[in-house]
Order: sequence, then structure tokens, then C-alpha cells
Amino acid sequence: MSHAPKRRRCVLEEGSEAQSVLAVVEEDTSSSSTCSSSFPSSSSSSSYSLISSSPGEELNVIPGPPGPSQDPSQGPSQDPSQGPSQSPPSSSLSPTAVASPMSESGDSPSSQKEESPSTSQALPNAESLPRNVIDDRVADMVEFLLLKYRTKELTTKAEMLNVVIKDYQDHFPEIFREASECLQLAFGVDVKEVDPSDDSYALVTTLGLTCDGLMSDGETMPKNGILIVILSMIFMEGGCVSEEKVWEVLNVMGVYDGTEHFIYGEPRELITRVLVQEQYFEYRQVPNSDPARYEFLWGPRAHSEIYKMTLLEFLAKISGSDPRAFPLWYEEALRQQEERAQSGLATMDDTSAVASESSSAPSSSFCPE
Amino acid sequence: MQGNTRRTGVMTDVHRRFLQLLMTHGVLEECDVKRLQKHCYKVHDCNATIEKLEDFINTINSVLESLYIEIKKGVTEDDGRPIYALVNLATTSVSKMASDFAENELDLFRKALELIIDSDTGFASSTNILNLVDQLKGKKMRKKEAEHVLQKFVQNKWLIEKEGEFTLHGRAILEMDQYIRETYPDAVKVCNICRSLLIQGQSCETCGIRMHLPCVAKYFQSSSEPHCPHCNDYWPHEVPEVFDPEKERETGMSRSNKRPSRSRQH
Repeated sequence: MSHAPKRRRCVLEEGSEAQSVLAVVEEDTSSSSTCSSSFPSSSSSSSYSLISSSPGEELNVIPGPPGPSQDPSQGPSQDPSQGPSQSPPSSSLSPTAVASPMSESGDSPSSQKEESPSTSQALPNAESLPRNVIDDRVADMVEFLLLKYRTKELTTKAEMLNVVIKDYQDHFPEIFREASECLQLAFGVDVKEVDPSDDSYALVTTLGLTCDGLMSDGETMPKNGILIVILSMIFMEGGCVSEEKVWEVLNVMGVYDGTEHFIYGEPRELITRVLVQEQYFEYRQVPNSDPARYEFLWGPRAHSEIYKMTLLEFLAKISGSDPRAFPLWYEEALRQQEERAQSGLATMDDTSAVASESSSAPSSSFCPE
Repeated sequence: MQGNTRRTGVMTDVHRRFLQLLMTHGVLEECDVKRLQKHCYKVHDCNATIEKLEDFINTINSVLESLYIEIKKGVTEDDGRPIYALVNLATTSVSKMASDFAENELDLFRKALELIIDSDTGFASSTNILNLVDQLKGKKMRKKEAEHVLQKFVQNKWLIEKEGEFTLHGRAILEMDQYIRETYPDAVKVCNICRSLLIQGQSCETCGIRMHLPCVAKYFQSSSEPHCPHCNDYWPHEVPEVFDPEKERETGMSRSNKRPSRSRQH
């Protein structure tokens, strides 16, 4: 079993303030001191530290208590009981879980807790926010944004302020920036501004879309295989493909309009609603068509997430040839790579994702029917 | 865990993709985790040597540490398969599920969880869970609806169903370990061998200690006459086999075909 969790704070309801974070720290140092000490070393091996700290300050893996009156973080003074929520006494940071607003409605009044503990630093002001308070907020923000990424929902600045930042409104830019960096560095997920007028953001992957390689030989198209197929068709047809053509191809794959598919569920629902909602396609009526006919076009998300080269490799694979056999598309795909490399969409890794994408073999887990 | 010499590599796109995909899947068995790792290497960096899984995960975990997130390894309670999930260490509620379920559904889960913890077998019957439908917070839920919700839990790997009864999936145990220990400190059961949370297992009829099935398998692996480690009385239950990933691969059993052993002895 894994080592004892380093529990930084608890979400639960009312808790005593008597227990301090230090109690948690003791568990932490005894069971996994190597973890904490390795962080500084890992930051030297890469050019980033995940949550940056100002030089000279203790690198904040173990949340040291703020303020001079507390013990240094390595010296726990309380007994490490596995008890209820432990809020650091003199910090204005109360154990707020990002989860609380989203899950248990009546259970945790933790959003009110900010007022209850403390005193010496009850009101945050721009200069004196201690490092670990910021780190806490950043961690919460990251969790919140990851949730949005998983559910493929947009979020707004207002929502973030409300749910995560709460009393630290002044520090939003800093917290947001750090959280975005963390997401990029650790997860390859980008927080992209969608609409400046209402400060809305989307969470997108910067790693390019592929299937996830969890198919065994017996399985058919990967879950987003249908997505890749349609995107490939859109690519081939120059950006717009008719619905009839799409169904023709899907039928070949054994996916039929109106028939529930064991992987994709109801296909029409999936392609005309779900994937459209996720912004991979646009589905619109062919102008002036009567009776109404429809077509699929690139959606905004496909523009930012899809590497045309991936699609081309997929096409090449299923036709048993090579991307270069499609010179026009190959050129287009190369052009896209160039643009992306220049606009810095490549991740911070040395080998840009774009470059490695083109040089890597097409994922062998594409096994079309 | 090695001491101070734990090596952490550099976080690359291979690790990031792995993390994204693991997060999307929620929980994965070890064989799938290895495949996923291979896939990520192939996509990004096909010439690199594939790092040992443990080191690979340590690299990722070292970067996630300051976010209080971790890739945690656990073991399924019924047949000892290693599983991996991305777990938030700071949160001790059912928040991971919050993205997929409504308030009343989450409350249904909590009710089921409580029944499971309180039960002796680690299973709660469908009937008993459904009877609590009136007590749920949030929008009113009918029993028929609740049945669907329970199935959703099973599909999303929070619960396992066996013969009309429900218990916790390994994923739920990994993710909610702290929450469970804190919310039900008295009712919680612990394995005598590994000291971890125990939902399903075998118990000694004399002294009442409990052990996970895979722990039983390992502990009694080479003894012909198993005896309770605590009171030394004869151990009355069938000792399961130790999980062997190699054997599994040889017999070519695919994941979907394998049914977990139905041993629920108490």
C-alpha cells in the first residue's frame, strides 16, 4: 500500500482550530520525508519549480505555518491524530476544499470558516500573504480547473473568484497565473481565454489529440476514434463535409444512425450534439438546402487541439500508405506545425510536442474496422 | 520506497500525456497502466527507453506533490489486482465524483457508503439502499431513478455489484480512504495484516480480526494449515490464490472476461 497520505488540510466541517497543520506535518515527515526533500532536488533537475517560491524561502512542500509566532514547519508540536479538520491557528487560511461548493451542499460551511480562525492575519492584504497561503489557493485552483477540464466545461473569472479565491481577490492574477503554469507543466493542459468580454476560459490539452492506446487487439475503434474519423473527413474535404458522407463512412465502421452502438452509444447524439458541444465540430444546415441537409465543419477546439499531421497519419495508416503520399494535405499539415511551433503552442519541453508528433510513428492503436 | 536516493526524472510530454489519460480514466489496472505508459512513449518520444513504471510514476508524483495530488497504487479487494488512480490528498470528501453526479446522487452514494461500512460483509443490499431514497438531500428521487444511479456508480467504478448487493470499488477505497476513516472512525474496519481500510475480507470466527482476501492469500501462501495470526485458531475459510499477472497473461484472459472470485466469507 502506498505511504501515509500527506494530508495537508481537511475538508470536513467544523473542526477545532486547535489542531494545527503541524500535526499533519509530523505524519508527513515521518513517513515521507524523502518526498519533501526530493522536491528541491527535482526542481534543480528541471528549470521549473511547480509552485515557485521566492529565493531564500523554504520551498513549500510542507506547508509551514505563516507568521513568526509559529514553529518552523519541520517541528510539529501537536500530536498527529487523524482527527477532524485542522486549521492552522494563526493563518487566515482555513481548510477550504475546492470540493465543498461542488459536492456536499449542506455539509461543510467551510466557506464561512475564513472568518473564524484567526486573528493575526485575518484580512489578507496584497503584500503580506504568506507563501503557503498562496500555494494552497493555487492547489485549489488547479483542482478546480482540472475538474473543468474533465467535464469539458468553460469557466469564468467570476466563477473562479467565487469558488476558489474567495477572500484573496487581489491575488487572483498571481494565483491564476501560477495555477495555469502548474497545469501546463504537470498536465499539459492550457487555460485559454475564450471570450475576453466575459472573461471565460476553456481548458484544452496542448498535447494533441490521439486515441489513448488502451485497445487490445479484440477491440475496435478507440473511444475518440469516431472523432478522428470525422475530423479526417473534414480535413480531406477541405474543411467541410456533408452529413451523408459522414454516415456512409460510419456505416462502414458498423455505426448506424439510430442504432445504439456498444462503444459510442447513440451515434447521432454523439456527433451532432456531444462533440459539437465540446466544440470539436460545427454542425450546420447547408445554406439554402431544401429539404434541409447538414454538414460538419471544424470546430474551434479542433483548430487548437488537433494536429493535422495526426489525422494524416491516421489516413495514411488506414490506406496502407504514407503521409507523403498526400502531398497537398502533407503540406498543409506541415504548415500547421510550423505555425504552432512559432506561436509557442509547443509545450515547454525541449522537444516540442509538434516536432515529436511528426516524427513519431502513428499510434498503432488505430485499428479501424 | 527507497530512502533519500529516490530518483526523480524530468517531467516531459510523455508524463503529461500519461497523467491526462490516467485522469480521464479515473482508475486503471496495472496492465493497462503499463500499456498506457508505452503508448505515451510511442506518441512523444519513441526512441527513449521506457522508464520503469515505479520511477515513471515517482517522477510525476514529485511534481504533483505541491498540489497535494498523487498517483496512488492500490489493490482490488476481491482478487488482489494492482490498480492506480489519481488521488487528491487534501480533499476528504466525495468531491471527485462531484463532476459527474448531482447533489441527490452524491447523497445516495454517501448513504450507500454508510450502509457498506456499517455492514458486516462489506456489502449493502440494493433494497436497503433504495429504502433510504426519501432521506436524500436535493431533488426528490424515486426508487426507479435510484436504481439507475446505482448502475451509474457501477459503470463509473465507484461501486461494484454482486448478486444485487453493492460494495466499494477499489477506486473508491483509494480515493476516499481518508474521508472514510474520518467520517466513520468507529465503524471502519482495518486489515490485520496491512492495516489498511477493509471493506471486504475474511474474518476470524473466534477473535474477530479481519484480513483482505489478497492479504490472506499472501499470508497463508505456503502454509498447509492456516491459523489466525492473532488467536492462532484454525482459519476456517478458503485461502484464495495470490494474484499473478504473468499467469493471467498466459491464459490469455482478457479483462472483460475475468469475473472476480465470488468469495465473501465471514
